[in-house]
Amino acid sequence: MTTTTGTIYRSSATRRSLLISAAFIAALLLANLLLFNPGQMGVVLLSGLYQGMLFFLVAAGFSIVFGLLDVLNLAQGSFFMLGAYMGFFVYGALPPGTPIPVRFVCALIAAAAGGGLLGALVERALIRPLYARPVFQIVLTFGLAIVFTEIIRTIYGPAGLIPVQPPAVLDTTFPVFGARFETYRLFIIITGAVLMAGVLFLLRRTRLGIIIRAGVQDREMVQTLGIPIGRIFTLVFALGCAVAAFGGMVAAPYLGAYPSMGDQFLINTVIVVVLGGMSSFEGTAIASILVGLTRATVEQISLQYLQTPVLASLSILLLMIVVLLVRPSGLFGRENG
Amino acid sequence: MTATITHPGARSTTGPAARPLTLAGLLAVLVLIPLLLAALSAESESAGLAAAVQAGVCARGAGPLAALFAAEAVLLAGATAAAYFLGSRRHWAAVTLRQYGWLALSLLALIAAPFLIAWQTDSSVCVRGQAFFWQSIFIEAFILASLAISYNLVFGFAGVLSFGHAAFFGLGAYTVGLLMLHLEWPLLPAVIAALLISLLTGLLVSVVALRIHGLYFAIFTLTFAEIFYVLAQNRIMADITGAEDGFTFAVPDWINATQNRLTFYYLALLFLVICYLLVRQLMNSPAGRVLHAIRDNENRALSLGFNTFAYKTMAIVLGGVLASGAGVLRALLNKGASPNVLSSTFTIDPLLMTLIGGVGTFNGPVIGAFLLRMVEYALRDSVITLGSFELNIGEHWFLILGTLFILIVIAFPSGITGTLRDWWRSRRQPLQKRAAAAGRDH
Repeated sequence: MTTTTGTIYRSSATRRSLLISAAFIAALLLANLLLFNPGQMGVVLLSGLYQGMLFFLVAAGFSIVFGLLDVLNLAQGSFFMLGAYMGFFVYGALPPGTPIPVRFVCALIAAAAGGGLLGALVERALIRPLYARPVFQIVLTFGLAIVFTEIIRTIYGPAGLIPVQPPAVLDTTFPVFGARFETYRLFIIITGAVLMAGVLFLLRRTRLGIIIRAGVQDREMVQTLGIPIGRIFTLVFALGCAVAAFGGMVAAPYLGAYPSMGDQFLINTVIVVVLGGMSSFEGTAIASILVGLTRATVEQISLQYLQTPVLASLSILLLMIVVLLVRPSGLFGRENG
Repeated sequence: MTATITHPGARSTTGPAARPLTLAGLLAVLVLIPLLLAALSAESESAGLAAAVQAGVCARGAGPLAALFAAEAVLLAGATAAAYFLGSRRHWAAVTLRQYGWLALSLLALIAAPFLIAWQTDSSVCVRGQAFFWQSIFIEAFILASLAISYNLVFGFAGVLSFGHAAFFGLGAYTVGLLMLHLEWPLLPAVIAALLISLLTGLLVSVVALRIHGLYFAIFTLTFAEIFYVLAQNRIMADITGAEDGFTFAVPDWINATQNRLTFYYLALLFLVICYLLVRQLMNSPAGRVLHAIRDNENRALSLGFNTFAYKTMAIVLGGVLASGAGVLRALLNKGASPNVLSSTFTIDPLLMTLIGGVGTFNGPVIGAFLLRMVEYALRDSVITLGSFELNIGEHWFLILGTLFILIVIAFPSGITGTLRDWWRSRRQPLQKRAAAAGRDH
């Protein structure tokens, strides 16, 4: 993926970051080779990718929104959760007799559209008045996350919803070196990869992408050039929320939907974004895969030796602390951040 | 300009200095008089002053005692109001009352509260009953207020946004509890150890995360607190921490809130007063001025030659230690701890209390804490019915909190204290100054 983006090689610092990431992934692969049998290893790597893609779906919007708007959207995880619930609603509300694939696709579209609309609304009504007070913006999104979670808990109750049935094609397993892996999780990996490429294309090859990247570098200058930056802000915020909500529905047939899923994903998202370097989209993409693989590997180790997956969440927290100590602005962040 | 106005200490430069210690002495006398009179009037068979005082204090209804306290409070309030509106700016007594009168009055009211409540509900302050129950509500409010004060020091005064304050709170609770439960440490060493551990944790957090961009700190603390929560509720250490259920431990009798709740009440109040005065003294000291400067413009403070990193670290460490002190009190009150004390509830609560009361004010966090705790208590069991729609307040408390968050951030960013202060100031200022103040962006 990184080979298609020539610009990333420009500075020696980013090259070093790439090398570090590659070395880290190599070390993870080596650990996998030494500790697990091939079947286990295949499953661990695939579920690592699967987790990484889920993190990416939430982190993508978080990272671009922070880069352009300087807003830390702590409600990003909630949009993931809301997406799942909106998708569930549409899935169930369609008239009986609708075939499952149609239901599924409608749910995906509804989640993305609903997330985008709600995101636009939030930016216009709540975030916009607060650009002069950035700290309060964070506090506001923090409150927003609580409100969303509680509204869902009020409507649907604290217990989660049972996962909906995905189309039959995706509802099977396939063999990996003798072990079995769910096709649906592979579908999530592929969807994540497609979205990753899509967002990268949007950022690098379209006019909107150029404006966004320019805005990340110097907001005032873009405004001076006569571009309605306010509208771009709304659009980007809405897009970020749409991607997160879409991701929520993509994950829902496997994870189900429960009110606290937003908070869980928020923590991981934050780690991914910090690791990758805030406001660097490529960094976020690479870091999400890195975090996913680390989590999956350590989870398997932890399950094997301690019988609980406790080390998994601790490992990535430690990873973040170490990276912050060595490179305070993350792997691909700008030093002056 | 802003700095000189917000700090009451600065006003005294034109007149005689206030004498807060004299006022404190007066307050002590005001508290001791009713107690001694109660001891004299008590029909105690056993000799000795302590027994007499106890008999007088524990008397059912505590009528005369409470009436005396009420009379004193009215007197003090009258004196303060007089000093405020009529008093000379040249006399130290008037100056002192104007600056510290309301504070002394609130303290007197809180000291007298158990007796006043006992009087009103005709129960005893020492045995289970109405007054006893209200004491526990107040104790919780004191603990939350201390927590909010510590949070305000970090967020409101040093300008460092942290989403991991619960880590310090829970660390205090867990450390003191685990040390007393498993290693059977006495109370005092365990408390000191808890404070020391949170001091070291504060240092660690600062060293790791403060060197980097300010926003990183906010999200770093969010994840840092998560580490503690994950560790505390995990089954892997169930033998030590009790995992999701938490653990209980025995506390010495004198501090046991089931028997000696009044003692605990005054202990919690003492801690609140210590937190309040500590933060107030700090912010009125030269170091506090530097913190203020850092919050308003860090680069400028840096270029003036101040080691902003050291000052912010100091604020975070002190905030952490005070928060863990509140956590220690909470563990002692409940005689146990559960992962709940490490959960985001104890980050959300102090943040909201600070916001409601007023960010970066001395009284704001205390007012916010009391208000929130009392409203929660008052509305916990009530149900609002709008047509066919029923809203159970207790069940949806967090929804209300979240909505409050958004409303305050949008509409009243400076909270109750700040809004009132701005309004008061704008009334007293000439028009052109008012315009200047309006242009100032907070």
